[in-house]
Amino acid sequence: MLEFIISNNIVCHAVEAMLFASVACAILSVIITQVQISSIGFTMAHAAFAGAAVGMFLSLNPTVCSIVAGVSVAFLIGPLSDKARLSPDTSLGLLFGICMAVAIFFIAYMQTLGQGFSAMGLLFGDVISLYREEVYLLAVICIVAIAFIVVLYKEITAIIFDRRIAESVGIRVKPVYYAMLFVIALTVALCLPIIGGLLLYVWLVTPAAIALQFCSRLSAMFVAAPTVAAVISVSGALAGLEYSLPVAPLTAVLFSVVFIAAVLLSPRRRITFRKT
Amino acid sequence: MTSPEPVIRLENVYTAYEGADRPTLQDISLSVGKGEFVVIGGPNGAGKTTLLETINGMLPITHGKAVVCGQNVRGDGVRVRCRVGYLLQNFAFDPLTPFTVEEVVLMGRYGTIGLFRKPGKEDYAAVQQALHLLGIEDLASRPIGQLSGGQQQKVLMAQNLARNPEILLLDEPFSNLDMFAREEINRLLARLVGSGITVLIVSHAFDDLPERQVRVVVMQEGKIVVSRECSPGEVEQVVRNAGKGPSHA
Repeated sequence: MLEFIISNNIVCHAVEAMLFASVACAILSVIITQVQISSIGFTMAHAAFAGAAVGMFLSLNPTVCSIVAGVSVAFLIGPLSDKARLSPDTSLGLLFGICMAVAIFFIAYMQTLGQGFSAMGLLFGDVISLYREEVYLLAVICIVAIAFIVVLYKEITAIIFDRRIAESVGIRVKPVYYAMLFVIALTVALCLPIIGGLLLYVWLVTPAAIALQFCSRLSAMFVAAPTVAAVISVSGALAGLEYSLPVAPLTAVLFSVVFIAAVLLSPRRRITFRKT
Repeated sequence: MTSPEPVIRLENVYTAYEGADRPTLQDISLSVGKGEFVVIGGPNGAGKTTLLETINGMLPITHGKAVVCGQNVRGDGVRVRCRVGYLLQNFAFDPLTPFTVEEVVLMGRYGTIGLFRKPGKEDYAAVQQALHLLGIEDLASRPIGQLSGGQQQKVLMAQNLARNPEILLLDEPFSNLDMFAREEINRLLARLVGSGITVLIVSHAFDDLPERQVRVVVMQEGKIVVSRECSPGEVEQVVRNAGKGPSHA
């Protein structure tokens, strides 16, 4: 898609993948941080990670397995809390621990079988060996994330404002909420191979945290977060490939640096009135 | 009491929270007519808020029948909520909450606008009217998190009025308001009731009720122990006496 700007195919695919993944994750990061479901996002990212590891071990499609695992965890949290009489927070802690254990077990086992390299890609991401189809798939999930926000904007904003108030004004909160979790799970699963299970969370939280330092309206956050994420991710991909540095970890560090700078420069924390 | 035109009809209703092993409301029967002003009193934990959330279908009804605005609450709580305003108690928004007052009030119409549709001219007009009724037009573009507790309470009130409700359920609406704002809200409530809107109000501030005949409902341990008409000045006494024994009128 960007071949007319970047002639090298590997660099071009890497930049495209990072661009689409970052935009999709950043849009969802606004929902995750504002609905305060970051622990759900965290657990889903690790479930997708475990699913991909299991899929890889069983020679199944890792992407499909990570989607199934991510979505399953999202839909397990509620029933698990109810049946086991646990708080959602405890349920998430349990599921997170189980997912991590499963993922690490299979990655370690694959290393003993000599399949270590591909498994490590799941941990830290891999933007070098991407197929064109994978980039197209990321473009599709990016469009899905944008369409999801545009189509259900009022319902999503009301839920972000307050779930109980959203319910009281006549919004069908549960279906929209579960649709949110489904889109997050899908995005997480598709972005996992390029960003990596350990770093994905940076993309799911930091863009919104940066945008929040400058935006006082949600609509502005939905524009600012993906814009910032796209600039950082494309810069990270280009710099990483140029200087032979690991792309996803380098980009994650860039996100953190920009976040710190944003906090320091945030006009929302300043007292701006003057005595006349 | 029987009303000629009940907008709320509960018959032997039981309600329970998810996962609870016993009902929170037990055998509730209540009929409220159009334009009635009902004050709900009782000790903490008596089920007052639960009663409001049962009426608007936010809590599951396990037994009994509830019809509100002609709709069966059990089958269609969402439709009921589009016609019933509900002011929740104890709200305080973070200063960084990314919503302006106008956006928050517009949310009150989201249920009636429906899925996949955008707010239209009439929705924005309703928002302006609600802001005007509460006297907070000048706050429209301010972030809600930067307002005082009383102003936030008024914004949420405007949010409920924006959808032109047939019934208003108010849970401790005076809790964050100063004396002047209370008087203002009271005048507004009296006007709303006069225009045919039914108001059910949970409050411990009985000295702040509008000057008109009211119905007082007293709850204890999930049951209605008193339901009778009285003047606003008598409400506190009725609630106090309710502990001495049931007296349905």
